[in-house]
Amino acid sequence: MLAQSRQWDGRGGRRRRQSALARRYGHLLFVAPGFVFFIAFMVLPSLAGFAVSLTNWTGVGTDFSFVGLDNFVEALGSWPLYRAAWHNLIMFLAILVFQHTVGLFVAVQLHAKPRFMEVYRTILFLPVIISLVSTGFIWTLMLSPNIGVINALLKDLGLGFLARAWLSDPDLALATVIGVQCWNVLGWAIIIYLAGLQAIPEELLQAAEIDGATGWVRFRRVVFPLLSPSFTALTVLTFIGQFRVFDIVYVLTGPLGSPNFETDVLATLIYRSAFGGSSIASNDVRMSYAVALAVIVFVIMAIASTFLIRVLRRREISA
Amino acid sequence: MILIAASVLVLIPVAYMVLASFKTIPDFFGNPYGLPAHWAFDNYTRAWTEAHVSITLPNTIIVTFCSVAGSTLLAALIAFGLCRKERAFALTLYTFFVSGLLVPVQMIILPLFILLKWFGLFGTLAALILPYIALGLPLGVLVLTPIASSIPRDLFSAAQVDGASELQIFRRVALPLLKPGLVSVAILNGVWMWNEFFIPLIIAFTPSSQTLPVGIISFIGVYSTEWGLVFASVVISTVPIVVAYLFMTRQFQSGLTAGAIKG
Repeated sequence: MLAQSRQWDGRGGRRRRQSALARRYGHLLFVAPGFVFFIAFMVLPSLAGFAVSLTNWTGVGTDFSFVGLDNFVEALGSWPLYRAAWHNLIMFLAILVFQHTVGLFVAVQLHAKPRFMEVYRTILFLPVIISLVSTGFIWTLMLSPNIGVINALLKDLGLGFLARAWLSDPDLALATVIGVQCWNVLGWAIIIYLAGLQAIPEELLQAAEIDGATGWVRFRRVVFPLLSPSFTALTVLTFIGQFRVFDIVYVLTGPLGSPNFETDVLATLIYRSAFGGSSIASNDVRMSYAVALAVIVFVIMAIASTFLIRVLRRREISA
Repeated sequence: MILIAASVLVLIPVAYMVLASFKTIPDFFGNPYGLPAHWAFDNYTRAWTEAHVSITLPNTIIVTFCSVAGSTLLAALIAFGLCRKERAFALTLYTFFVSGLLVPVQMIILPLFILLKWFGLFGTLAALILPYIALGLPLGVLVLTPIASSIPRDLFSAAQVDGASELQIFRRVALPLLKPGLVSVAILNGVWMWNEFFIPLIIAFTPSSQTLPVGIISFIGVYSTEWGLVFASVVISTVPIVVAYLFMTRQFQSGLTAGAIKG
């Protein structure tokens, strides 16, 4: 059928006389190659993944049986899931605040069109291009208690009492991971807010000025509400990014989210459940359980991001 | 002032990365900041052989190039096929492809692992390229379909009257008009494919099929104190993409932002 319609399409096209079939379904030939890839490497694995989550398969061998929703029940009743989700939530909120304050502030500075604006813009967006793995290595070394530049600098400035074991102190590790991520993601906030600022019509600002609104009042009442689309985009981007975060945690504090799971996040928890971490006995590694965790995270994220987009869009309209 | 401070804060770690790649081990302990006492250029030659950059760099280039080309082309074909709402299944298929954005990699990675083994692709670069092409499609379709829809249909009918086949219309009419979108999609997918860590960590752990980010990690385990070599590898993995960014700053910024906002 498909081969036939391909022929029809080729001949018919040249003679400007297409069969009804080709006219109605010919466009699907353009979709077909991508469709095959998509089915083979995304849809089938997703379905297979869901099927695996309903079994007790460990990941090796052929010995497994159907266990229904047992994995889901166990996962939802397990403490590490909530601890990891809590860390994701803290990271999300901290970076959200950072992006909407520091990021917005820098974007406003850039929007004032200072000299070398293009240079600043190029530099400030640079970390976004640099991989999280490279970012992780740079900061692992800089923050190292023995050979790192940060503690050495603090000592030489006479601030040696501030030197810390940044990534292995249980009270500081999560904050340090957040700080490193701020370095990597600031560029997003700047570019997204800058695009929002540039989209504000000049007349609107002049009108506000004539009405006596200047400085902070004008920003608060006129500019900021008009930045709502940027606010929404950045919030959703940060949400998705922070609930999927893996690379940077893996490099900075390892698959165990050390020290003592203080930086453990959902993605490292899933990774460990599927492939093991250095201190986990191999009989703890259960692929089916890991996939069940991934399904739970997927469902919650899908619901949360839909909700988030809806709430923020409403705010945009009423603003 | 603020801008200068922010730029300096961004640049210091980058400069530090470059300096660290030229340092010897005693230098790290004796001289944490400042220029290397002795510029150890051989960090790079050693990274090339001992850290297997001679394998991982070509691998990364091949994987990124093939995946970007394949994914962008297939997404353009899909966008062209689905660009008219009244066509059969157009909206359904569009939603189907775009919903792929929501699928977390962790959910598909293990079945993918088995599938690739079954196809006998395991340990080859195709084991990365084929899934990357599929994973790049949702964003490509999302960005390109609206652009394809905005092409006036008169242009297509005119070409048809001139006797062009659908394929010729795609190549001669649609593709040139899609070009800005194609660049955005290529950059968006290219940056994540070049930097991607999780997928190759699982699928491409055999040394011959490793990409740069995974290569550096696996090297860490072996020579945990050889920071100079590690950073030479980090610099080698970062420079190509930074150079591309500096040449096409505007395209990178607008392309990535467009993808981020829509994604």
